Amino acid sequence: MKNFTRRTFAFSTAAAVAFSLVGCSVTTGNPGSSDTAPREQKDEYRVAYIARAQADSFAAWLADEMQDEAANYEDLKLEVFDGQADDEIENRMIENAIANKFDAIIIQANNADAQIPYIQQAVDAGIVTITTNPRVEGVDGTNSVDANPYDQGAIVAQTALEQIPEGANVVVLNGPAGNFHSTERRNAWEKEFFEKRPDVKIVAEDTANWNKDEALTLMEDWSLANPKIDAIVSVNDNMASGALEAVKGKSGFEGILAYGVDGTPEATLLIQEGKMTATSLQDAGELAQLNMKAVHDLLTGAEEEVNVNVGNPLITKDNAQEYIDLYTEAGLIDN
Amino acid sequence: MPSKLKNFELSRYSIFIILVVVFVAASFLSPNFLSGDNMFNVLRQVAVITILAYGAMTLIIGGMIDLSAGAVMAFAGVASVIVYKSSNNMLLAVLVGIAVGVACNLVNAFLVATLRTPAFIVTLGMMLMARGAVLELTQGQNVLQLGDFILIGQGNLGWMPIPVLILIVITAVIWYLMNQTRYGRSVYAVGGNEEAARAAGIAVERVKYQAFLVNGVLVGIAGVIFMSRVNAGLPNAGIGYELQAITAPIIGGTSFSGGVGTVFGTLAGALIVGVLGNIMNLVGVGSYIQQIVMGLIIVVAVAYDVFSKRGKAKTTILKSTSKGEPKPPEGKAPATSGASTLEQ
Amino acid sequence: MSDTALSIRGISKSFPGVKALDDVSFDVRPGSVHAFCGENGAGKSTLMKIINGIYQPDTGTIRIRGEEVRIKNPIEARAHGVAMISQELNYVPEMTIAESFFLGRLPVKHGRVNWGFIRSEASRVLKEEGLNFSINRRLSTLTVSEIQTLEIARAVYHSADVLIMDEPTSAIAHKEVESLFEKIRALRAEGKSIIYISHKMDEVFELADDISVLRDGTVVSSQPARDITSAGVIAQMVGRDLDHQSYPKEAVSLGDTVFRASGLSSEHTFEDISFDIRAGEIVGLAGLIGAGRSEVVRAVFGLDPLDAGTVEVNGVAVKTTTPKQAIGHGIAMLSEDRRLVGIIPKLSIKKNATLASLNKVFRGGFARTRVEEKLVDAYFKKMNVKAPSNETRIESLSGGNQQKVLLARWLIADPKVMLLDEPTRGIDVGAKFEIYKIMTELARQGRGILMISSELPELIGMCDRIFVMSAGRLTAELTPDQFSQETILKYAMNEIEVA
Repeated sequence: MKNFTRRTFAFSTAAAVAFSLVGCSVTTGNPGSSDTAPREQKDEYRVAYIARAQADSFAAWLADEMQDEAANYEDLKLEVFDGQADDEIENRMIENAIANKFDAIIIQANNADAQIPYIQQAVDAGIVTITTNPRVEGVDGTNSVDANPYDQGAIVAQTALEQIPEGANVVVLNGPAGNFHSTERRNAWEKEFFEKRPDVKIVAEDTANWNKDEALTLMEDWSLANPKIDAIVSVNDNMASGALEAVKGKSGFEGILAYGVDGTPEATLLIQEGKMTATSLQDAGELAQLNMKAVHDLLTGAEEEVNVNVGNPLITKDNAQEYIDLYTEAGLIDN
Repeated sequence: MPSKLKNFELSRYSIFIILVVVFVAASFLSPNFLSGDNMFNVLRQVAVITILAYGAMTLIIGGMIDLSAGAVMAFAGVASVIVYKSSNNMLLAVLVGIAVGVACNLVNAFLVATLRTPAFIVTLGMMLMARGAVLELTQGQNVLQLGDFILIGQGNLGWMPIPVLILIVITAVIWYLMNQTRYGRSVYAVGGNEEAARAAGIAVERVKYQAFLVNGVLVGIAGVIFMSRVNAGLPNAGIGYELQAITAPIIGGTSFSGGVGTVFGTLAGALIVGVLGNIMNLVGVGSYIQQIVMGLIIVVAVAYDVFSKRGKAKTTILKSTSKGEPKPPEGKAPATSGASTLEQ
Repeated sequence: MSDTALSIRGISKSFPGVKALDDVSFDVRPGSVHAFCGENGAGKSTLMKIINGIYQPDTGTIRIRGEEVRIKNPIEARAHGVAMISQELNYVPEMTIAESFFLGRLPVKHGRVNWGFIRSEASRVLKEEGLNFSINRRLSTLTVSEIQTLEIARAVYHSADVLIMDEPTSAIAHKEVESLFEKIRALRAEGKSIIYISHKMDEVFELADDISVLRDGTVVSSQPARDITSAGVIAQMVGRDLDHQSYPKEAVSLGDTVFRASGLSSEHTFEDISFDIRAGEIVGLAGLIGAGRSEVVRAVFGLDPLDAGTVEVNGVAVKTTTPKQAIGHGIAMLSEDRRLVGIIPKLSIKKNATLASLNKVFRGGFARTRVEEKLVDAYFKKMNVKAPSNETRIESLSGGNQQKVLLARWLIADPKVMLLDEPTRGIDVGAKFEIYKIMTELARQGRGILMISSELPELIGMCDRIFVMSAGRLTAELTPDQFSQETILKYAMNEIEVA
């Protein structure tokens, strides 16, 4: 691990290219809904980013991207705080940011319901408030930048509709109980796939808490109990790759299909090798770009309310190489 | 007194009886359970936790504890992976993994043995430091493309999975250390009564260093196997493993108050946990229920242990007192100054 | 009003595999002191726990003032007027005197603890007892004797009629014993009954109106004290006549000086202590509690730091900053606190015995199990250690047998000098005698022995010379012609009387 900051910077530049490739849906919303006074113009705006957990690999990646992206704005000064995957800590970080009179607070909720009262406090204090990854609904006056987890799951599920054979046996790997992204991705699979394919049987389903090692152990056991498994349905790539690790080289499982979400470097490699079938990209670089643009627009008065989603491009064997190239350039994959 | 003998034997071997019961029940519950594939499967799955459990057992017997095992394991494993990727040298990579485990544990030992800080607090601090270190090292990202590094966790030697082979060798080594060496005997003595051990000429501080050293080697090896098994350097690996590692020895009869515990008890404890998890996955019991079952097993095993000891204490002590308190049954007497006793 | 305060009939109690009490009956008269004597393990503690409601009897009845009662727990016992002044002095160190006074029965007014009442009552009782300290002091700042007085005051305040005292003098000093006895006599005069458990015959005969002797769970005799002698009680306790007047002391020809301590000092504990021990000699170290005797041997053995002074073994100056070093130079120490600095409770008696000689057991890379067994067997047999097997955990042995195992530990280590701190404390008469015999044997082998004891007859009976300490200084070196309890006490109280 040499110079990580430089590499992530390179990566975010690369992600910008991806962004232009796939486009995004932007809904900039109802002018005139806000009656707050125009913000005072400043040379430098202080922005607090309260990350869910620096120990969560996607959240850590996003925090890095946020910092790199903020560097592109001369008038933004971003400080990152670590919520340590703990509601109490996350809430305290929000309170601190309010008390320290930041101009804007970007909140990556650990648990939306738990954070709502504190998000409300930030709005009440007249601070520009953005929720991101996930969007938190239910507080007026907030803004949001998010990947839509339902769409992320749906695009993969729709691909699987044609690929998973008649009468197939599948296993399902879920994220932590109650996690918004996990639940929404699983909902997408239910509506877009399982309801349309009553012939497909779920032979085992459990939570592996986003973890590769837990998915590995589950799949080792499931593959013994069920000699015929046609597909792995996982709500993230880590668990999909863990499950694949369990049946690697095992006879009877050579042609197994595997679906994930996130578009991690590992998943793109597995897809390229033909071991994994499809995933959709949740792009931290793009999330960071939209967040910084949103916070800048809101602070300078260019926008009064922003609610946007990043795109969720599908990655399959056909286009895996593009993403591998991007990741390689960013230093996340070795040549 | 035959009844006393029976009682004693039963409680001594109860953990193995429970293991056999679980094993037999499992083989009835699923036709797949007894297959050779599944047996190796279970052993592969328990290898990492059991190796950590031996370290935890050593420390608990010696009257200490290690809450940093999970985090140090991740640190050691990821360091090993990174070294392998840049050097392509397996031996060097493994040695670096072990070295990281040992280094963290020598810091623990210094604070616990030399500065006399409670192990609970020291290792709690080390847990945070090691986790922070591995996250900083990787910037929170998984390290991929391990190449042949995965042999340690996934390969076979003949028909024997390598992690299982490592587990067997380590079991033998730890058994040897605990039962055949001065070091092992000293660990039991220090954990059983530190002051008395010191007064019997045991170099208490050195024994504590040695126990942490052994733990460090084990945690390092566990980290290497773990990363190799999952085919990635995961900086978030092993969260909560420090508690899982404590579970096996506790189920296996290691006393939290120190001085008591056996290697085979710990192995049996780990196997009970592993077989239960395996059979529940095989028959499709969800992870929520699994947690309830595991919790029950811990509580029941420890409650049974305490209960049976109380019964035993009554039979052998013949009189008075409760708990395992080492009080001389009729209490400490004497020491009036001056006046005589016995005769006038 | 019945003419018995407490009447026990046919009480039996079994624990799995063991009959702890068998058909025990006796009466305690109001306004009397009833002493219970018995060796360790005779069933005294079990009996007292039944009276106090901690155990339930299998059969038999308890009557209090003629009324049959079932006592299910200590709270009920107190409600019936029975209070135990425990030998372990169970108390919460961080509690204040006022709090402890109402522990377990806090007075409540309008649903809240009535602190005003607690404080006024506690200070009134303290004043009555002549204890002039603040009710807000924490128990941890009191001496054992003060806490004991407090416990008794508390029991009487809560209207106890029967007070059980289990070895009340075991941890208090000589002067305090006198005031305790006065207190007991005063309680008796008020019509209270005291059940008094003690190993010490002089105490028993000084106080008791009645004496019951327990042996192996049965009452061997129960009679007025004037009808029996101290020798008779002991004979009944051990079930055989024991000529305890003579100690198994043998004249051994003394060799060269094996041990010499010169000018030992440790700040605030002792100063300028010098003594020597010759091969084959048993040297006594006498003194009151707090004189610094144990502290001296602990420092010599490397358990505590030494500020000044030198230690010589066989004429060579040696460093003993840790017990390991001391043992390496042939010094052994048996601590007065067997539980804290002696046994490893959860280890077998075998492993306890070889703990100081691990180099003999672990050799050539493996444990030499057979060698270990042989070593241990030989010494256990010689010392008559009573245990089901060598694998028995030491915690399940009686105090006397534990002490023998610890002696075996040092014999296996084969030291030149043995520092024995209260070697017979808390062990029964038979075992004491055996330990004296072992000491004699050790002296005959040419080892030097230092014996600390608070029991003067024991020192006088066993020693060749006696050093006396008072307030951290040596005040006398006595030769056998000077040995007497009066002389030793005079020197032991030397400084205290002046101060």
